Amino acid sequence: MLHEQELRIFVEGTTNFFEVAAQQPATLGSPYLAEVPPPLHEYTGVINVSGKREGVVYFTAPKAMLAVLLMKMQETDFSHDTMRDLVGEVANTISGNARRDFGGDFLISVPSVISGEAAAIAPKAGARSFIIPIHWRSHSAKLVVSLG
Amino acid sequence: MHRSRSFGRAPLLTVGVGLALALSLGVVLLAGFRLATELNGSVVALQTASSLQTYPADISREIDTLRERLEVRTYAGRALDDLRGTTTRLDDGLADLARASAADPVALRAARDSWARFHRELDPVLAFSGQPYRDSDTAGSVLSTAGRAHFMHVRRAQLYAARHAQALREELGKVVDGLRSSASTAALRLRGLLLGGVLAALMLALLAVHLQIAKGREERSAREAQERTRDILRTVREGFFLLDSGHRIGPVWSDALRRMFGREDFAGLSFQDLLQDLVPPATLATALKYVNLLWGDRAHENLMKSINPLAQLEITTESERGGKETRYLQFDFHRVMGPKGVQHVLCAVGDITSSVLLARELQDSQSHASAQLDLLIGLTRTDPLQLGSFLDTADAGLRLVNAIMKEPARGDGEFRRKIDGLMRELHSLKGEAAALELTSVAERLHALEGLVEACASKAELSGADFLPVVLKLDELLAHLQGVKEIAGRLMLTREPQPLGESGSIGAALESLAAQLSREHGKPIRLELAGLAQVPAAYARTVKDCLIQLLRNAAVHGIEPTDQRAARGKNGTGLISAKFAATPNGYELVFEDDGAGIAADTLKRAAVRRQLISEEEAAAMDTRAAMALMFRPGLSTADGVSMDAGRGVGMDVVARGLQSIGGRIGVATHPGRFTRFRITLPAADRATGAVA
Repeated sequence: MLHEQELRIFVEGTTNFFEVAAQQPATLGSPYLAEVPPPLHEYTGVINVSGKREGVVYFTAPKAMLAVLLMKMQETDFSHDTMRDLVGEVANTISGNARRDFGGDFLISVPSVISGEAAAIAPKAGARSFIIPIHWRSHSAKLVVSLG
Repeated sequence: MHRSRSFGRAPLLTVGVGLALALSLGVVLLAGFRLATELNGSVVALQTASSLQTYPADISREIDTLRERLEVRTYAGRALDDLRGTTTRLDDGLADLARASAADPVALRAARDSWARFHRELDPVLAFSGQPYRDSDTAGSVLSTAGRAHFMHVRRAQLYAARHAQALREELGKVVDGLRSSASTAALRLRGLLLGGVLAALMLALLAVHLQIAKGREERSAREAQERTRDILRTVREGFFLLDSGHRIGPVWSDALRRMFGREDFAGLSFQDLLQDLVPPATLATALKYVNLLWGDRAHENLMKSINPLAQLEITTESERGGKETRYLQFDFHRVMGPKGVQHVLCAVGDITSSVLLARELQDSQSHASAQLDLLIGLTRTDPLQLGSFLDTADAGLRLVNAIMKEPARGDGEFRRKIDGLMRELHSLKGEAAALELTSVAERLHALEGLVEACASKAELSGADFLPVVLKLDELLAHLQGVKEIAGRLMLTREPQPLGESGSIGAALESLAAQLSREHGKPIRLELAGLAQVPAAYARTVKDCLIQLLRNAAVHGIEPTDQRAARGKNGTGLISAKFAATPNGYELVFEDDGAGIAADTLKRAAVRRQLISEEEAAAMDTRAAMALMFRPGLSTADGVSMDAGRGVGMDVVARGLQSIGGRIGVATHPGRFTRFRITLPAADRATGAVA
């Protein structure tokens, strides 16, 4: 069973990114469970976790949200690659937080980035995923934690 | 211990040998100086005495010369001067010998006496100062009167010298012999002293060399011992260090500490600083008090061990692979006693993380096995059909709970709107689980209810507040999955038990009544009638209502036995539920012979829970007050338990009945009874929303 502290570390990794990068905190929507994770948005940053827990944690965000985030960060390049870099940076922040707080119990991969709504990520077999909506300004992204 | 005493004695021995060597050299030098001085005096005196030995012959010869001069009337002044000079030198020489005290006093005295006598004969000669001659025209140069007397003195002296000069020479020879012997003895003593000094110095030097070799050997052994100690401290998996009376760590510590605490500056570090950032302040304060106690002479080691506050210390340190790491350390303290009491405290620190985690896993595993066993036993007592029905209901109910969670929410209002729906659904499921005596499920539902209730009490709600809820929901779903799997296996092997007279709802109520009676210590008799006639469309709602009403009756209605006795009632509380068809549908009458419901009690509870103001309560009539019991959040219970206290129950009843077009009325008489009359429309007219 996932512990509250473990879940919070992933959540705080995500919200911290917004607070630091955009100087505007993100808020959490109502968390829920899903046996089949919801469809991905256009850009998704994924980290694989092994060790004490195994599975995936990913942050999936719509293009519009990332575009506003880039503007807020004084970026002028809104290309596909910049969007990928940005969502990868969010995943990187999540994995950095997790590495710092979990220590040796968790082995956390280098983040990878998936783009395109048609893409899919296989959740950890037999584990329900925790879906945590991340609201920032008028946009919404999702943090999905699927660890067994 | 032995080694440390040897080390203490070696420098003393070296110092002693050095002092002895210095002392010997000093004695040799002093005595040698004295002997050399003495020898020098003897040699000088010997030289003097040797030269004096010739003087008697010289004096005789000079007297002879003086007489010859006087006889031939030549100048005799020079000869007299020579005599005087020799006499004076002999006087001086003898005086020097007497002062030098190196000469044999007896021989010297004899020589001096002999010379004194000789000197007396010479004195008239030496005293002459006039002209010995006188010129005469006839006889030429002749002796004057004084000259003649002088001549006579010279002749007498000549005669004396002829007789005694040899004797004086011999006397002086004896003095010389004495002095030679004395010088020889002094030289011999000096040689002996020098030889002795050299031997003593040699022996002391040998001793010093021996000591140096021994010291070198001991130092080599000490170095080897230190190396071995270092090897042990480098290899041992436990952390070792000594604390001094100032609670500071000594200079020797094992390398394992480095890994345990992630630092290297242990030498001189205080025990407080070691633990400062690792443990909560209260634990730190207790640990410091404990270490203080260890220094007391009267502290009993075994007793101290039993109250060790650091027997299992959880710390968080930086991991070698980066990030934080939680580890468990065990501190063990041993007092090192010295002649003056406690000298040090040896602290052994063990990393017991693996043991602790293993113990926890074992405990979890045992708890899980125990819970599984309890669950298994509970399931064997449960009717398979009821259980299957409950599991389906629970599945649907928790899906509904998750659906409520999934409803988008951003602001406090949207989050708060979820709470009522969550509470109703969870409470209803909990009631059913308790009725089936599925304690593990009911407890989890109760805990989940508690988390939702905690959200409700927050001033400003956000999604983060619901993280514990969704985690608990996940755990509950996993648990129900386990129950399903076990139940599935059981149902394969068990025949369904025949239904009781009142059907499956009745059986569940009887089971719940027995459980409540047991838990609250109130004897209860449950009378059921007509429940088998409950249409399937109303089954769940009726069951939910009856479960809630039964819980309320058992917890709030039926009085404790002593109160019932005081009121003249039967000790066993009576609760009845009668379901019957009516011309317009159905009627369910639920009644208990308990304490009844006082309008004032409901008003006070509503005011306490801030559902109404005191003014509203004061203006409320009995009918309106009775309606309060159906308001969400009202409970007259003082605390929260599995059965009451959250103010959800009657709300569930009212909403459930409302959903199928039913109505509920209540009649009560304080101290005597409470009666709920529920009317339901004919089943085909139900506004049913129940799946």
